[in-house]
Amino acid sequence: LSSVSLGVEGMTCGSCVQSIEQRIGTLPGVIHIKVSLEQKNATVLFDQSHQSPESLSEAIEDMGFESSPSA
Amino acid sequence: MTKHEFEVAMTCEGCSGAVTRILNKLGDVKFEIDLPNKLVWIESDKDVDFLTETLKKCGKDVKYNGTK
Ligand SMILES: [Cu+2]
Ligand SMILES: [Cu+2]
Repeated sequence: LSSVSLGVEGMTCGSCVQSIEQRIGTLPGVIHIKVSLEQKNATVLFDQSHQSPESLSEAIEDMGFESSPSA
Repeated sequence: MTKHEFEVAMTCEGCSGAVTRILNKLGDVKFEIDLPNKLVWIESDKDVDFLTETLKKCGKDVKYNGTK
């Protein structure tokens, strides 16, 4: 398993945080995700055989938020 | 072009911003967002199922209200 901190831009409140945690949290290979509104990042524990920092960041972008593979 | 009305369970500017970015990525669509009323109007020739799935990417519930 591997842990990464991704930059996330565009969230304004707790419900933004929740929708990201819910949707990204159910992706294959995602063990745990913690999103911080204040720090504008997402800390993800994941299985490298299913995900990478890039694929996770892309999934967040796909939801309409801006994300970079490093925070 | 057909103008479609969708109800998207947006609650804040983060949601409407996300919907804006998602629709902008599609390229050839014109759209309008009414955040207080949770409505999104899209002018597009793409089919409703595709547009619904696209809107759902933001993680919110989406309902199709018909053409306007
Ligand atoms: Cu929000
Ligand atoms: Cu929101």
